[in-house]
Amino acid sequence: MNIRLEYVLFGFGILFCLAGVGYLAAEYVKNLSEAGKLVSLLLTVAMFAFLSKYFEDIGW
Amino acid sequence: MAAKRRSLYLYLTLVCFFGIIAIFIVDGYVGIYDTIYITAGEREQKVESDVWQRNDTFWSSGIAREEKAFIRYEVDNRQFSRYEADVDVTVWRMQEKVSDVLSQRIAIGAFDKVYVEWTIDTAELLPPDAPPEQGFDYTLTIKRGEIERNIILNIDPYPYPVIKTVPAPPR
Repeated sequence: MNIRLEYVLFGFGILFCLAGVGYLAAEYVKNLSEAGKLVSLLLTVAMFAFLSKYFEDIGW
Repeated sequence: MAAKRRSLYLYLTLVCFFGIIAIFIVDGYVGIYDTIYITAGEREQKVESDVWQRNDTFWSSGIAREEKAFIRYEVDNRQFSRYEADVDVTVWRMQEKVSDVLSQRIAIGAFDKVYVEWTIDTAELLPPDAPPEQGFDYTLTIKRGEIERNIILNIDPYPYPVIKTVPAPPR
């Protein structure tokens, strides 16, 4: 067990960020218009696609 | 070259992420939002603004006969500018106006909200010869500028049949 404390803290930070963004998304997605929901969905798909390509390029 | 392309993917990911956040702020938060609170029979019903966005025009709420419904209309101005509008509240039944409840002009500052309150008395709405075993539906129409919100108010019948007492015949 040689995990550095910084990485654990980074992990917590990332988790809290995701939880916060998830909470806000759940709170405000009901107020979005149909066009807003569609564009958000497309951007989410594109975001994960670009992130996957990035990780693929760095050799993950 | 590979590192440049890698950075490009990362930048595009960030652009998409901030695009989603921008849509949530502009489309999901900024605007005029109205909420209706109906208190009848010691229960409060909340009709949130997303109900209207789903095109659910009507929301039914039951009121016991001879009781009152207390209605609070909240208008939330989540804009950078001041908002003004006329609020007109009327009650309708079978396409005919039964009563004018309220007519008021509201002015709301940026990122502020106002409440308009009124009371619906079922005793004033029901016709005098309304049979006690019959329920009645009325449409409460709230007009704010060009926007119209309709709520069906259901006035419940008496839960038990009314026993009519017949006077004893004279001896």
